[in-house]
Amino acid sequence: MSNTWGRPLACLLLLAGSLAAEDARQIVAESERRGRADSQRYEGSLEVISANNKVSKKHWQSDRLGSYGASKAIIRFTEPAEVKGVALLVVNHPERSSDQWMWTPAIGRDRRIAQQDRSTRFFGTDFSFEDLEERDVNQFDFSLQGEEAIDGAPCWRIESKPKEGKSSQYTSSRVWIRKDNYVPVQYENYVKDKLVRRLVEKDIQDIQGIWTARQLEMTDLGRKSRTILKLENVRYNVPMKDDDFTVQALRRQM
Amino acid sequence: MILLRLISWPYARKHLVRWVLTIGGIVLGVALLVGMYTANQSVLEAFNRTVEHIAGKTQVQVSAGDGGFAEEVLERVQSDPDVRAAAPVIEQVVDSGFKGQGKLLILAVDMTGDRSLRDYDLEGGDEDVMDDPLVFLAQPDSLILTRDFAARNGLASGSKLAMKTMEGDKQFTVRGILRSGGMTSAFGGNLAIMDIYAAQKFFGMGRRFDRIDIGLKDGVTLEQGQASLRKLLGPGFEVEAPSGRGQHFESLMSVYSMTMNIASLFALFIGTFIIYNSFAIAVTQRRAEIGILRALGATRGQIRSLFLGESVVAGLAGSAVGIGFGLLMAQGLTASTNKFMESVMGVSANADHMLVRPWLLVTAAAVGVITSMVAAFLPARNAARVDPVKALQKGQYQVLSAGENRRRRTAALAAIAIAAGCILFGRSTVAFYSGYFLAMLAMLLLTPALSLWLSKLLRAPLKWVRPVEGALAADSLIQSPRRTSATVAALMLSLALVIALGGMARASYMEIADWMDGTMNPDFFVTTSETISARTYHFPDSMLDGLRRIPGIAEVQPVRIVRINFRGKPVMLVAIDSLSIARRTRGRRATAGDFDGMYRAAAEQRGLIIADNLAQLEKLKLGETLEIGAPSGILRLPIAGILQDFSNQLGTIFIDRALYRRLWKDDAIDVFRIYLAPGAVAADVKARILDGFVHERRIFVLSNKEVRSYVFKVTDQWFGMTYLQLFVAVLVAILGIVNTLTVSITDRRRELGVLRAVGGLRNQIRHTIWMEALAIGIIGLTLGVAAGAVNLYYMLTVSRQNFAGIALDYTFPFGIVGVLVPVILGAAFGSALFPAESAVRSSLVEALEYE
Repeated sequence: MSNTWGRPLACLLLLAGSLAAEDARQIVAESERRGRADSQRYEGSLEVISANNKVSKKHWQSDRLGSYGASKAIIRFTEPAEVKGVALLVVNHPERSSDQWMWTPAIGRDRRIAQQDRSTRFFGTDFSFEDLEERDVNQFDFSLQGEEAIDGAPCWRIESKPKEGKSSQYTSSRVWIRKDNYVPVQYENYVKDKLVRRLVEKDIQDIQGIWTARQLEMTDLGRKSRTILKLENVRYNVPMKDDDFTVQALRRQM
Repeated sequence: MILLRLISWPYARKHLVRWVLTIGGIVLGVALLVGMYTANQSVLEAFNRTVEHIAGKTQVQVSAGDGGFAEEVLERVQSDPDVRAAAPVIEQVVDSGFKGQGKLLILAVDMTGDRSLRDYDLEGGDEDVMDDPLVFLAQPDSLILTRDFAARNGLASGSKLAMKTMEGDKQFTVRGILRSGGMTSAFGGNLAIMDIYAAQKFFGMGRRFDRIDIGLKDGVTLEQGQASLRKLLGPGFEVEAPSGRGQHFESLMSVYSMTMNIASLFALFIGTFIIYNSFAIAVTQRRAEIGILRALGATRGQIRSLFLGESVVAGLAGSAVGIGFGLLMAQGLTASTNKFMESVMGVSANADHMLVRPWLLVTAAAVGVITSMVAAFLPARNAARVDPVKALQKGQYQVLSAGENRRRRTAALAAIAIAAGCILFGRSTVAFYSGYFLAMLAMLLLTPALSLWLSKLLRAPLKWVRPVEGALAADSLIQSPRRTSATVAALMLSLALVIALGGMARASYMEIADWMDGTMNPDFFVTTSETISARTYHFPDSMLDGLRRIPGIAEVQPVRIVRINFRGKPVMLVAIDSLSIARRTRGRRATAGDFDGMYRAAAEQRGLIIADNLAQLEKLKLGETLEIGAPSGILRLPIAGILQDFSNQLGTIFIDRALYRRLWKDDAIDVFRIYLAPGAVAADVKARILDGFVHERRIFVLSNKEVRSYVFKVTDQWFGMTYLQLFVAVLVAILGIVNTLTVSITDRRRELGVLRAVGGLRNQIRHTIWMEALAIGIIGLTLGVAAGAVNLYYMLTVSRQNFAGIALDYTFPFGIVGVLVPVILGAAFGSALFPAESAVRSSLVEALEYE
């Protein structure tokens, strides 16, 4: 999860500050620290596999600027032709939900994606808009639930719950963080006691000193569909300008 | 029941044709009532159903008239702490492009946020409603259709669909199918979902939305939510529950439905007279029978009950048939009401099925029965009062007593005096309507006396035409004024309505023609649709300069027309270039204020101009300050002038376009008024306009003549009731005259028998009956024209004060009378054919034995 959709999600799901959970919080904080970079760029390929095995594919390029919690990211779709040029700007805020805008070149319009719709699916994938956000660690309570191996790698299992007043579609989440490199490798998101989404991270590689999962597979257990995101050409600390992460910049790409 | 079976049934069976004709009045009244109400309710219900289905979980809707508002308002609404979800919406009705499929409602939404309020994944299916949500948003040609509409037109996901847009005809791609149920039944299933930003582009909306649908946070009541939003947005916005839209639609439709209801009431009223006439005649004919019954011990109450029982049966039969006809009529009327609302009001409901309310049917039946009973009450009372001794004396018939006539005349004169007093001194609505009622009552009370007087007057000319037959025909009428007067009264009332409606239509035509001469005088009107009333598409402001550059064009006047909420009513707001319009419309009639002064005040944004009908309806005076809620604040300006205007039945407000653009943040244009330069060839200029724009946008260049004929066509639709009423009048004439003649012949069987016995020819009998019928027609026409003249005065006042606020000059419709004379006399003659033949062919022996 050391990409736009990686580590932020871990933090979203885990962070908190109760005494009993101090270890869990430290683990998550360390995971976040290890994934930190001034910027990140990658090319993503996305495969959405529906319940009836209908597959749709898309490609994009992702740029992210800034450190965790206050970062800005732009995703630009490159394929297929029908969606080429469509862009999504996400501006994260540590204290509140992110602002998101979408740019559709065919009509030359940007649109703000309303706060109310964070729980809806991100353009037909199995991720929700909320899953893209980076959240303030202090807005969640978390606790260490135990230890468990994932694909043979020992992990901590940590549970997080949004604090009172914090709005989230999920009642609780669980994350498995590897003990050896602090990389989160699996997430489970619950609504009440029902597991609704599971994210599995694979193909973890050290890129420029940052352990990075190059394949993310999100499964929507209600819809029985899954989305596989593969990251190519991942680079960190690429020079980027703040001005390129604005709504005006989205419009400029016309 | 026994009396009904033993006494009434044989009589009815013997006079079956007459009874069928008698209940015709009830049939007609009930049919009109059921048909019109059902049609109106079907259209209203279809609109409400569409609103409700589309609303989904929406609790509150924010709108600002049909011009919409700037999209920045969305963020303000979303910032309201009481708001859980706010989704922008644009709704447009377009031609579906499929033959026989009518209109298609485009619901344009932002699919990234709209699911908080509307359920698109119907029936809990696991398949996406959209093939690919990102492609749907990325490609503006994307549409989602309902399964029904797609199936009806052989469309599937990926199919192409042609649609007219602001940019001309465009091919759209079906990128999703909505499953059946819920929202898909809105607008009769003719529903398509489009991306809202694509809709802005294709319908020329600029950066505007029609409304915002809102879901409130848990625990926030509707009232709290509305109050909070009203405070946040100010008075320029309407913050209502979705059902509020239905109320607006209803108020737009009310003007139309009121006209329809008047015709229904009149039909029932006229039906009352026909029934009264039939029962009065029956009582006369059955005096001997009544005498026998009374002699055998029947009480007065039993005799009264017998006749009232007959009236109940007649009322029930008439109501039953009337309900059947009404439901048949409703189908056609629903379509025409739909069309009317679309073409004149610019709103569409797409009523695809009739809404038949059981209570309406019960009410209609009750109205039919009560009408029949009311009509039969006096004859039943008279029957109960029949003296058995006199009744059993042969050859004795009831006549109007001198005392009765005197009482009626006195009452009529009193009614006339009070009605005149109401006109001269009455200021209140109650006084006016009391005067109206009394004037009509006076006419009715005077009908027997006037019928008698006219019959006497007609004797000489009839005798001159045919010495024997003419005299016999006139004498028949003179001897039995009671027999004739109810028919004449019914005919008179019906003609009074036709003449009043015709007079209103004629006055309207003249006023509209005058208004158009002064106002609608550009050489061309450049619009986005074939009619100037449709406002689905809009032009951008940028087009103005392009038009001005076209050689041959001297002046271009942009006009923006929106419907706004003014004092709770959907009033039209017209934004104009004031000085330019003033310069070109000098012939326009100003009701109050200086013509140049009012336009100057409007141009300088220190005054506004209103239509005279709005001034009438809202009782507004020159100089009075109006408050109009605009999206950017309250517009407070004095009325600088009042103009004659027929743009909108509920009233129009004119402001300068610069002011409108500032306060409504809207620079869209609905119509360009084009004036040609001297010497310019109209056809060439039209071609240049089309060449310049037709490739990039939807555009129509209408000539002045085309617009004028469209306006007159709409006026025709308004007064379509005149033709229906003319039909009712003819039917009343036929029903009444046939009835009267049938009885007249029965009454005079012996007289006619004697005539034949002493050598009278069959043709002479025929001519007598024909002349009697024509005489009734002439009397009815004469009184009808007189009553119509009075009725027209009252109807014009009703129209001005309570209906559309339009002041029309009193102009008597001689043309309509010119049509009525041959039509009614023709109907009278036609009505006489069967009774005449019946009289001619009756047995001479039987006729002479009758006494």
